[in-house]
Amino acid sequence: MVKEVPLWLKIAAGIFLVGMVLLLLGPLVVVLGISVSESQFIAFPPQGLSLKWYAQVLGDERYLVSFRQSLVLALIVTGLASLLGGAAAIAIHRRAIPGAGALATLFLSPLILPTIIYAVGMLMFWSATFGAVSFLTLVIGHTVICLPYVLRTTLAVLSESDPYLEEAARTMGAGRLARLWFVVLPQCLPGLAAGMFFAVNISFDEAVLSLFLRQPELTTLPVRVYGQLEFSPDPSVAAVSSIMIGVTVVLLVLADRILGLKRFSEG
Amino acid sequence: MADLTLTGIRKSFGGIEVLHGIDTVIEKGSFVSLLGASGCGKTTLLRIVAGLETASAGMVQIGGQDVTGLPPESRDISMMFQSYALLPHLSVAENVRFPLRMRGIGNREEQAAKVADALETVQLSAFANRKPAQLSGGQQQRVALARAIVSTPKVLLLDEALSNLDARLREDMQLELIEIHRKLGLTTLFVTHDQDEALSLSDRVILLEGGRVAQEGAPEDIYEAPQSAYAAEFLGAANLIPVRIGPRGVALLPDGQSLKVPDTMPEGPATLAIRQEDLVLSDTDAGIAAKLKAQVFMGSRTRHVLDLGGHPLRALSLGRPGLTAGATVRLRVDPDRIAWLPPADQVRAG
Repeated sequence: MVKEVPLWLKIAAGIFLVGMVLLLLGPLVVVLGISVSESQFIAFPPQGLSLKWYAQVLGDERYLVSFRQSLVLALIVTGLASLLGGAAAIAIHRRAIPGAGALATLFLSPLILPTIIYAVGMLMFWSATFGAVSFLTLVIGHTVICLPYVLRTTLAVLSESDPYLEEAARTMGAGRLARLWFVVLPQCLPGLAAGMFFAVNISFDEAVLSLFLRQPELTTLPVRVYGQLEFSPDPSVAAVSSIMIGVTVVLLVLADRILGLKRFSEG
Repeated sequence: MADLTLTGIRKSFGGIEVLHGIDTVIEKGSFVSLLGASGCGKTTLLRIVAGLETASAGMVQIGGQDVTGLPPESRDISMMFQSYALLPHLSVAENVRFPLRMRGIGNREEQAAKVADALETVQLSAFANRKPAQLSGGQQQRVALARAIVSTPKVLLLDEALSNLDARLREDMQLELIEIHRKLGLTTLFVTHDQDEALSLSDRVILLEGGRVAQEGAPEDIYEAPQSAYAAEFLGAANLIPVRIGPRGVALLPDGQSLKVPDTMPEGPATLAIRQEDLVLSDTDAGIAAKLKAQVFMGSRTRHVLDLGGHPLRALSLGRPGLTAGATVRLRVDPDRIAWLPPADQVRAG
């Protein structure tokens, strides 16, 4: 017979759960609240109700430029990270290269290494080797940080895939390219899609690396928000943040829909 | 004409040789089984024919052409995998069309016609637009079969193709395979560990033991005249009895009883192989005496587990068990149904 869970444990678990949810969602609620405030200052609970900060943000050229720059950066980085991460995952999964295990650990290390250390190192390395940092530096830096996500998700789906599919394709006359297109890529696709979702979000939200590799003509959205908070804090920052939260939620729903529906049609 | 010729095929994995020189010629249109216990090298040999493994030595010829150095995609073969290996994101029809598309056989209409034909052959026409995951295991198996036959390759390779099916489906698929083989006449190499499957499907059985051909021939011949204890035990689970053959065709059994054997058997120590169904339980007092230890009812037949002076014997009879365990029963054997094997085989027979 299953032992009954004691009441005190049930209560403790309930408190823990409520605490977790509050800590996760509380800050978001605060940000959303501030963004609809009429006040000139960042204050919670909001005073009055207005969308004027949204209007201001959407009319502010600096925010729009930053948004565009962040978006372009995130898309380029996602493309690169999925290309490199996907290829690395395939090679590592097949143990096609010597030291595949060590390479996997190396590629995943940005997940463990504090970004600030990597950012300082990257700045010094780049300045000493190539001179002034540029958009390219930021692309490379972001790609290194985003690659582990693509690598992990793709390795995960590959480890569950049928190892005989590719052999079967060979016996049916499929050459290397045909096998990549018809067998390997479809096998990787769910993992690649999930990894790309992470990569877009991480690159778009990344502030530390972008701060260190900052340059006059390039201010990503998180850096812009940070600067605004530092020098003239007003609820427009909260409005930008709320928009970013909204975009993330939409992406999340989309990803779940697409990936979820895919599972459904296959299962 | 031979469709598949193997000459001196050897294969080593990490310094350990698992195939010690296999030679065989498979005639056009024949159905040949590679039979053997797990680890005998039968799957490795099949994979060498497919090109998925490279032989350490020897030559593979398909349709008279040396293909030893060719990759699988350049060989005129198709292979059916134990795991079916259907492409999950393609429909049934697209899966079956895949080899035609990859090998550039026919235009779109011709391919569609061939796919329709193949699906009709395996009775799956109604499922053409489904995804593999929406089919049962048996149906997936037939899709794999349709895909293997659609390009009418020189050699069709089947790797434990029926092993994942339950008994009933398996029997259906065996009949279907025989039917399809008769209709298309594809040269077929079939790997199995199941002797019933090998016996019922093949024109010829190649029995492998430890990376060597133990015996090769028509199923009836191998079954009736095994040349080794391994062959006798593997095909039909024969009883192996160590004896000493005296003059005038009398063999001395381990417990001292004597058994009539053909006069042609050489005098001296030997191993006799007697099939389970050839040990007949006798109603009379004639025949050799053995103690009945257990009876196993198997539906159409009953297996009797017997003890002959410490040596285990098994006998099969039709009908239901009617005797009591512990009783002494009499056994008769037609001398012509006894196969002679050299005594050295006793060691391996264990």
